[in-house]
Amino acid sequence: MTGYFARLECLRMLRDPRYLALAVVAPIGFYLLFASLFGGGMPGRLPGTVEIMVAMAAYGAIWGALSATGPRIAHERAGGWLQQLQAMPVAARQVMAAKLAAGMTVTLPALVLVCLTAAVVKGVRLDTWQWATLLAVMWVGSLPFVVMGVAIGFVVGAEAAFPLSYGLYMAMAALGGLWVPPAQLPAALRQLAGALPSYRLADLGWRIAAGSAPSAADVAILAAWTAGLGLLAALAYRRRPRRRLGSGPRPGPRRRHASSPAAA
Amino acid sequence: MCGRPGGPHHGAMDETDAPIILDRVTKRFGSLTAVDSLSLRIPRGQIVALLGPNGAGKSTTVSLLMGLAAPDGGEVSVCGERPGAAVSRGRVAAMLQDCGPMPGVRVAELVELTRRMYPAPSPTAAAIEVAGLADMAQRRVDRLSGGQLQRLKFALVAVADPELMLLDEPTVAMDVQARAGFWSAMRTYAAAGTTILFASHYLDEVERNADRVVVMAHGRVVADGTPDEVRAAGGAAIVRFRLPQPAALPRLPGRVTFADGWARVDTADPDLTVRMLAASDVPWRDLRVYQTSLDESFLALVGTDGADGTAKEMAS
Repeated sequence: MTGYFARLECLRMLRDPRYLALAVVAPIGFYLLFASLFGGGMPGRLPGTVEIMVAMAAYGAIWGALSATGPRIAHERAGGWLQQLQAMPVAARQVMAAKLAAGMTVTLPALVLVCLTAAVVKGVRLDTWQWATLLAVMWVGSLPFVVMGVAIGFVVGAEAAFPLSYGLYMAMAALGGLWVPPAQLPAALRQLAGALPSYRLADLGWRIAAGSAPSAADVAILAAWTAGLGLLAALAYRRRPRRRLGSGPRPGPRRRHASSPAAA
Repeated sequence: MCGRPGGPHHGAMDETDAPIILDRVTKRFGSLTAVDSLSLRIPRGQIVALLGPNGAGKSTTVSLLMGLAAPDGGEVSVCGERPGAAVSRGRVAAMLQDCGPMPGVRVAELVELTRRMYPAPSPTAAAIEVAGLADMAQRRVDRLSGGQLQRLKFALVAVADPELMLLDEPTVAMDVQARAGFWSAMRTYAAAGTTILFASHYLDEVERNADRVVVMAHGRVVADGTPDEVRAAGGAAIVRFRLPQPAALPRLPGRVTFADGWARVDTADPDLTVRMLAASDVPWRDLRVYQTSLDESFLALVGTDGADGTAKEMAS
């Protein structure tokens, strides 16, 4: 059941033209544009075609993760689907598992297709192990953005979720060095970039593409964002505003179902 | 009444075989007592209508039965278990008012997802067929009309094929044809042993389809019986006659009101009313006797203040 659920979650993303435009077509298009403009690269650094490939793969993956979760969960809360699920024999953890699986899956098209475009159109060449590790590590590194989307979906309402997700996405992309190479950012912004998951996700890829291992800081900061956002999501899920006749917090230690009554 | 299959079962069944048992259940929201020491036992295979004005506690009762709200007092048993356990084991399925479908998927996909959740489901195609959605199976749920969405909710309950169906306003927004199909399916389910509790505002369909009617007001049961019995409880008949000139009436067995030169007597004993009028000197004319509709009994039972949905505050 959870497998079919996750499959439906993915299917409806792939049917959404906005997802395809923003999380698949846009990063490929931006890659082709930027790689043509700035493909020369800086001395002592990765070639521009590689650096921008990693940045745009991260850029697409982040939006895939956020758009599959944040606006959708908020929309489902408003539309009553999550209430319907409470009245069905499905555990909250199964619902969450399907959402996380779907959020992770829909980051893949951007990661794979941007890299494929770089290899085919711009002639980017990496070792086989580098391609494999780069894709695998960046894919796992997208997890904090899926969790961020879940938190957004439970914290804000249906109207605010899309602009908030998109605003955070743009801010993280710009400040995290996905638009402008972080080396060219002013010192203060560079420090900020170092704390952002967007920069750390791209940094995983940049290091692998340069032939080295991801840094401990990359892994630690991404893990910290995942844990913090996961906690926020869990709190928001438990404390989310009740609709109409509230059932009040239940005394039991575990709540199989979420709290708001569907029928009021 | 016409078209009621099987007739009432209550009393004839084994007492332990009751998918719904509420024992002195109370639920409060702040100072509002939504359900007030409610006791109710519904045996297997019965179609029970839950009636009451807005704020009477119907939806709260459904929430309690679905485990979506916990009672402040009393015991709720669904299929012999805690409500939450009965829901998670797929023994009960519901059409609820605030619920909606998963966005972005097709009708057949959502019914199939639901089928995979329940322990003893019906085939997806059969559920789609019985809900009258066969020609819309490949349509996206976001593009359904209100009536079609309601039929989709019905399909989700039909595919679950549970022991107990809880239906909150199940036919709202359905057209006449869909409604007829819905009730015909419900009678088939009940004949096969499914227990059905539904809340409705359409008294004509309650009258035609329910084995039993439970009327709630202010969180309590104010009447419980067959549609005929409930009709009788609210006053069995109305006697109307014209009074060309004012006259003192004898003490009739019922409530007397006057309007536009007509007198109206709401009475449980129309025979005695007519005999007393015939024996009196009152110059009445154009006398007629009507059977009370369930509508009128319902209004009489819950009181007109409750019927407009404003009487939410409880004396408790």
